[in-house]
Amino acid sequence: MATLYKTAQTEFMDVEDLIEEREKKSNIKQRVLMVASRGVTFRQRHLMNDLEALLPHSKKESKVEAKQDMELLNELAEIQSCNNVFYFEARKHQDLYLWISRAPSGPCVKFHVQNIHTMDELKMTGNCLKGSRPILSFDATFDTEPHLQLLKEIFTQSFGVPKGARKSKPFYDHVFTFSVVDGRIWFRNYQIVEKDPETGGDVHKNAKPTLIEIGPRFVLNTIRIFEGSFGGPTLYENPRYVSPNVMRAAVRSQQAAKYAVRTAKAAERDARNKANPLPTDPLKDVFE
Amino acid sequence: MSDSEREFEEENMLVDDEEIALEIAALQSEDMLSQQKKEFINHKAALTTLVEEISQKNIEWIQRCDITSAEPLVVEKVEDDLDRELKFYQQALGAVIEGKKQILKAGVPFSRPEDYFAEMVKSDSHMAKIRQKLLDQQKSIQNAEEAKKQRELRKYGKKIQQEKIKEREDQKKAALDKIATIKKRLRSGDIGEGDDFDIDVDSEEDSRAKSGPSKKGKNGKPLPNKKRQMKNAKFGFGGKKRDLKKNTTESTDDMRGFSVKRNKSTGFSRPSKNSKAKRPGKAKRQRIN
Repeated sequence: MATLYKTAQTEFMDVEDLIEEREKKSNIKQRVLMVASRGVTFRQRHLMNDLEALLPHSKKESKVEAKQDMELLNELAEIQSCNNVFYFEARKHQDLYLWISRAPSGPCVKFHVQNIHTMDELKMTGNCLKGSRPILSFDATFDTEPHLQLLKEIFTQSFGVPKGARKSKPFYDHVFTFSVVDGRIWFRNYQIVEKDPETGGDVHKNAKPTLIEIGPRFVLNTIRIFEGSFGGPTLYENPRYVSPNVMRAAVRSQQAAKYAVRTAKAAERDARNKANPLPTDPLKDVFE
Repeated sequence: MSDSEREFEEENMLVDDEEIALEIAALQSEDMLSQQKKEFINHKAALTTLVEEISQKNIEWIQRCDITSAEPLVVEKVEDDLDRELKFYQQALGAVIEGKKQILKAGVPFSRPEDYFAEMVKSDSHMAKIRQKLLDQQKSIQNAEEAKKQRELRKYGKKIQQEKIKEREDQKKAALDKIATIKKRLRSGDIGEGDDFDIDVDSEEDSRAKSGPSKKGKNGKPLPNKKRQMKNAKFGFGGKKRDLKKNTTESTDDMRGFSVKRNKSTGFSRPSKNSKAKRPGKAKRQRIN
């Protein structure tokens, strides 16, 4: 009896540890919903397709028109049982905004996507297994500011392929790089090559691997961080963000300024000429 | 000016004033907006708590696979593509080396075996395109280098050609000198025996000397033998050969070789007595025998 009690007690004691252990070992479920808005250009659509190809735990949804009602996206995520949403919002058929949200409770980040290069470009010569898990490489700058820390956490959970995800492959042959330069986040994707890049022969084990870029590459400029998913109070606002509309307007006004300056100068010249008329020559008509 | 007009003027002034005021207000509001905009929202405390909330610190590293670099990335000039990309590469490389260690420590295979084939992110046709482009690039580089070399060669080609011509002339000169010395030696030895030989060589030498650039053959050289001299006088030596056999006015008028008698004679000339009898044909001969 005593032994029974003892074993029971030890089992009981271990239950919490066991749960913790199981939690540690169990695969976390991360699923990403990829949605584009209406009016994406082909390049933006290709970027989405590339990300979908690289992230086996993603699910692509057809284009939506969610300009007014962003809550719709949360519902979509729930239907697809996704807890991350990548919403590619195209504006004016040229600007791309990326919303990365943790549905349904948040937080949510809105980025402006710049300098998009897709995998289709022939300059990026690397290749990797479809669905292999990436190593996520972060710049140490991500640990300096709270909002960057939050971004890092969001990236790890959305870009990191969960272990044992359905279509994932068991080997590591590429690395996602997130770096903070110029206040923006630069994304790169490299293939890990553990062979001699020139001859293709084996190299010894301790040699440094070489990296070949696979693509895509893009730059994320943070606009805002919201507390909720697609809504809620703003927690962070990027002071260095300038809307592309403002940028374009500035460029246009700069060009227009040329004309304004020219006309102003002409008016000034006219006024000056009027104010200082040429003195009449008294001897002008002497020989006539 | 009537009252109504004055009123109208005043009203106009008022309107103008209003407009100016509005403009000033707008300007000021813009100023205010920018001042308001200077305060950007950044709830640091809320953000840190949120990070704590959503972070999955208690899960194993192998689930996350994230590596943070030891040193923050510093890029002096963002526009400098090469430097920037190099920094990214270095960051990724560091992460790969560190990540590989941790992955292997967790007992998970890292590199793909040779015989593991699976679908790749980029299709084979796309990779073929990439390879083709690389090859084309290499080819174009090679072609450019070749063209450059050719251009250089063309620049020096003329010089080289001139040098070659000069070299050839020098060789020729040296050979001629050699022949001359041999001849001199022969002449100084026994002339009587090798007369013909000597003359032949001389004449040859003469003709060659004419065509060649050196003209020393004419003076100081002994004249050819008599026979040769006569022949030269008769047939000429050098000069044009063409048109010699053509009729001219003189040749047509020249009647020296013409005899009336011969011209008038009719009938065919009989075979002369001393002409050799021809051998009869075979049948005749057999009949005779």
